[in-house]
Amino acid sequence: MSFLRKVLQRLGFMIITLVAMSLLIFFLVEIMPGDVAQMVLGQSVTPEALKALRESMGLNDPFYLRYLRWFTGLLRGDLGESLYMRGVQISMILWRKVFHSVILALAALLFYVPLSIFFGVLAGVRSGKLSDSVISFFGLATMALPEFVSGVLLITLFSVVLKALPITSVIPIGESIWGNLDILILPAFSVTIVMFGYVSRMQRSSMIQVMSSDYIRAAELKGLPRAYVIFRHALKNALLPTITIIGMNMGWLFGGLIVVETLFGYPGLGSLTMTAIKTRDVPLIEACVLFITFIFVVSTFITDLLYGLLNPRIRFSGAEQ
Amino acid sequence: MKRVLFLFKQRPLALVGIVVILFWFFAALFGPSLLSFTYSALDTDYQMTRPGEGGHLLGTDALGRDILTRILHGSRSILTVALLTSLFSTLAGVIIGFSAGYFGGRVDAVFLRIMDILMAIPPLVLAMVILGILGDSTIVSLTIMVSIAYIPATARVARGAMLTCKNYEYVDAARIMGESNFSIMFVEILPNTIGSIIVEATARFAYSIMMVASLGFLGVGLQPPTPDWGMMVIENKSIMMNAPWAVLYPALAIASLVIAISLFSDFVSKVLIHDS
Amino acid sequence: MIPDTILKLRCLGVSYRTYYGTVVAVRDVSLTLGENESVGIIGESGSGKSTLAYAIMDYLAANGTSTGEVLFKGENLLEKSRKEMREYRGNRIAMVYQNPYSSLNPSLTIGRQLDEVSLFHRNSSKDEARAASIEVLKDLYLGDAEGLVRRYPHQISGGMQQRICIAMALLCRPDLMIMDEPTTALDVTTEAVILDLVKDLRDRFKMSLIYISHDIGIVNKVSDRIAVMYRGEIVEIGPKKGIFDRPEHPYTRALINCIPRSGLVKEQVRLNTIPGYVRKRSAEEHGCPFVDRCGKRTSGCVERYGMIEQSPGHFAACDRAYAKDVPDESIIPTAAGPEAACQEGELLLKIEDLYKAFRSRGKTVRAVDGVSVTLHRNNVLGVVGESGCGKSTMGYTLSGLLTPTKGRLLFDGVDISISWKKRSKEILREIQHIFQNPGRSLNPSFNIETIIGRPMKRLLGIKSRAERRKRIEEILRKVDLGKEYLLRKATQLSGGEMQRAAVARAFAIAPDLIICDEPTSALDVSVQSSVLNLLSDLQYESAVAYIFISHDLHVINYISDYIMVMYLGRICEYGKRDEVISPPYHPYTEALLSAVPEVDPSLMKRTIRLEGSPPNPTKKIIGCPFAGRCHKKVGSICDTTPPPKVDFSESHFLYCHIPPDKLSTNGIT
Repeated sequence: MSFLRKVLQRLGFMIITLVAMSLLIFFLVEIMPGDVAQMVLGQSVTPEALKALRESMGLNDPFYLRYLRWFTGLLRGDLGESLYMRGVQISMILWRKVFHSVILALAALLFYVPLSIFFGVLAGVRSGKLSDSVISFFGLATMALPEFVSGVLLITLFSVVLKALPITSVIPIGESIWGNLDILILPAFSVTIVMFGYVSRMQRSSMIQVMSSDYIRAAELKGLPRAYVIFRHALKNALLPTITIIGMNMGWLFGGLIVVETLFGYPGLGSLTMTAIKTRDVPLIEACVLFITFIFVVSTFITDLLYGLLNPRIRFSGAEQ
Repeated sequence: MKRVLFLFKQRPLALVGIVVILFWFFAALFGPSLLSFTYSALDTDYQMTRPGEGGHLLGTDALGRDILTRILHGSRSILTVALLTSLFSTLAGVIIGFSAGYFGGRVDAVFLRIMDILMAIPPLVLAMVILGILGDSTIVSLTIMVSIAYIPATARVARGAMLTCKNYEYVDAARIMGESNFSIMFVEILPNTIGSIIVEATARFAYSIMMVASLGFLGVGLQPPTPDWGMMVIENKSIMMNAPWAVLYPALAIASLVIAISLFSDFVSKVLIHDS
Repeated sequence: MIPDTILKLRCLGVSYRTYYGTVVAVRDVSLTLGENESVGIIGESGSGKSTLAYAIMDYLAANGTSTGEVLFKGENLLEKSRKEMREYRGNRIAMVYQNPYSSLNPSLTIGRQLDEVSLFHRNSSKDEARAASIEVLKDLYLGDAEGLVRRYPHQISGGMQQRICIAMALLCRPDLMIMDEPTTALDVTTEAVILDLVKDLRDRFKMSLIYISHDIGIVNKVSDRIAVMYRGEIVEIGPKKGIFDRPEHPYTRALINCIPRSGLVKEQVRLNTIPGYVRKRSAEEHGCPFVDRCGKRTSGCVERYGMIEQSPGHFAACDRAYAKDVPDESIIPTAAGPEAACQEGELLLKIEDLYKAFRSRGKTVRAVDGVSVTLHRNNVLGVVGESGCGKSTMGYTLSGLLTPTKGRLLFDGVDISISWKKRSKEILREIQHIFQNPGRSLNPSFNIETIIGRPMKRLLGIKSRAERRKRIEEILRKVDLGKEYLLRKATQLSGGEMQRAAVARAFAIAPDLIICDEPTSALDVSVQSSVLNLLSDLQYESAVAYIFISHDLHVINYISDYIMVMYLGRICEYGKRDEVISPPYHPYTEALLSAVPEVDPSLMKRTIRLEGSPPNPTKKIIGCPFAGRCHKKVGSICDTTPPPKVDFSESHFLYCHIPPDKLSTNGIT
């Protein structure tokens, strides 16, 4: 029962965070220098036309009114109209881009999770030996490597030198992503390189810690086979911190891959956000940043939930019998 | 000291890391004055030249600017920002994290909530939006932005270190010997946490390079024509097929610095944190 | 009929390659154990006793090597491959460890962890394995076995966890069971239950047992023979009575006389001490391991060394324990001076109805539940009780580290029911605290001079560094630490030295009252006695009052003038030391006294088994807190009404419903 309570508490907090974030985002963007109406109409307009437009766009209304208008619109699913691309409903373009970002995220997940966990476990079990040194070195080196740097190196190797993969990841007009799956490879791989460093190191140290614990010693001295001890006793406990890390980065993976998408020209949420900022398309910026935040908060929530389910100490509260 | 040498032998790569870092510091301080080109000189005869031609050791970019000079020059700003960031964020993080960890209760709860909220937005996006609003960045604004983005991380580490120490009985003993909270936090406890804090600071150094480069890549780096490594990559990305060196060398510069600092940070952690 | 030999160790040695060189953990150990025999291995830290256990199982760290032979039913285990060893581990030889909670996998159910033993060693099916697990739980008198197997380790108490671990070891009916300090993490009364259980299991299943402990009293309960280890070697081995009546090796004799045992009190004797401390053993060392600390050493000790049979079955590596050629230093407990009987001063501390509660996860934990007691100057009040009785919490409120929820604390007339932040410098100076673990109570980054000097500067106002240094040297002399300790960091000291430094720190500012919270519990036996002697001497010399908190009744008996027995936050019994130790007893005092292990194996005690574990401190107790486990419970009145105060004398009272004349009038032994 108390587990359910915890879940509801976190849910409530999540909603509060989202509302607070929406306020913050709206505030930040609205105080940007530059007159929105001016941007729409261009330079050579009469002051009266500007004033009329501002009026019609409701720009002269007080802050809280504009915020509420926007917020209620959100709840209805109406994300507003793009400033730069006149008259285009944001919701129309946003969802498609989000969909692309999701595909990229899934591809990256598919690559990096099994790879990092496998090598992390291997390095942990063979701690001190050569395989461990090699894996650790790779992990260390790639930990702080920016995604675009690994991306550039990959492009140089695979696109320029080997000419094996496309240099950019744009989808030709008229086609869908499904026919062009090879554009996912390099971006997903760039992400993998960064995440590998982080996750494999975490997995390794967690594995080492678990393998030197008292209960593993007790299991081994019970005469259980080593493989069984590693997979059935150690792994479950060693994976917990790693899953937390993977979960914490889900948000970034599904919504924050601005750098990768920009480098490869991949048509996802990140690229859209870049475009919005470059063109100072206010409503679009708000929508994009809010969406990214939404993805972040929800993924944190799901991670907490998953961790609670997997860790018996949280799921079943302790009690003296 | 003997231990340091022993660990060095175990990890020769750390030495490589230190050498590379020293190289870049040296390059930042003296590099630009050693070369004949300036970073903004447009050599129209030699646009997009291959490395080696026309005296351009690493080639030129689309506008004919010498890549090597721009890289050496760019090292100054990136190192300055990253160094200052790791210092500021560590300092601020220690003060905030220590207070949250030591006082616990409501102070800590407030801290955790704020951290939760700050972590809700990816730091890159936050920095981007704000800098995008402010227009082109200066060294000062970049330093401030990246420091703020990383304070939650350093504060967390500081808080963790504090939580470990505060339950030790020497803290209780200090209290009943009449010490003030401030004295306990910074005179008694701090020396016992300095190892973790230094390691965190070096790690931050690497991550700051990463963030500054990424911000430059996203277009909110330093004003052109001041060279910014990240910006160099995005500026020349379109000509990558024809002049890959314009993109590759800045990328390699970033990679070398980041990897070197990571190796160094790992070595420092092995020295300071006694893992038997 | 000679029983079969189950285990024979022949010249077993274990050494480790470390950064500092080769360290020898076990050297030249030879031991024979027959069927259904049990031997207790006694040793302090650094004796190698645990390493020995792991060496028998052939389980050493990567940098360890073993030499010699481990013959289990004739087969040398050290020559077996890893795969072959799996047949023995958990099956023919089983082990139980010190900390039951960390020996169980927190993310697997109890049932699962029990089943896998049968699944792998007996090739049982899942159902068969589960049935076997339930069966063995019943063997250990654990009720509700079906419910238990579905739970996770964190959901049951420490005593039950240890029983589960024993059950796991028992499943395959091993020939040999090795137990490595299995009760050290448990309370005395729980420990007594487990020890009885072990005895019972041995009788029923005819197992051979190796029981490792630092406490001779515990080993006396479960073993027939005792082996004494020091720095990796067995220095003496023999029947427990023989070892106690006439220990041949100087170390054994010194060790036994270090232990504060039943009947020893500070006015009559000083405890024996062993000077020096345990050093690591390098590979080059030969000869007697005890030679540097031995009071009976001669020039021949280093070369001439080997096991000699002193009497049937009783072997010792040296028989000079009673040698007359070297003067007997303090190997027999010597009498303390006549002044040791201390004079009682005027009233110093008055605790009025102290009540301290904590909120934890929505529930209220009543740590201290209405304690009223007084303490006079120059007296030692021993506070004894098991974990959760509130003794440490009470100590913390006195020091000001915690504030009372209700009630008053009056120190010399001044109300000190306030936190340390609000206390004046005078009060802070007058009340000091010595903690259990000196490794944690001394700042590892400071040297000794700073540790003792800082409070001097703040609370005594001695600004001159030279002046402080002079005083610090003086106080260090009093605790038997020389000038060279001034610049050493706490981490460079041994456990005993660290605690001495902590004592020096407390005394340096001349307090009137010192709260000693289990000051010897984290130390080795031979070091404990020197610290106890020190505390006793200093107490007399400076006329300080102590509140001496401990779970060890023998220590309390030794050093206290008055004793207070606590249970679940309340006082059970209070009185002068002799009044509490002798009948009439509160039932809980009686149970405690019967559960405490005795060094003298001839002291046969009627053990009172307390069922269950200490009750939940979050539930409000209306009647007597001990009612749930009391072996002398009167009836339902014990649950519904708080017990009345029964005065036996001006100083002796207890709280119980039992009519005074019906309380025990006979002693425990």
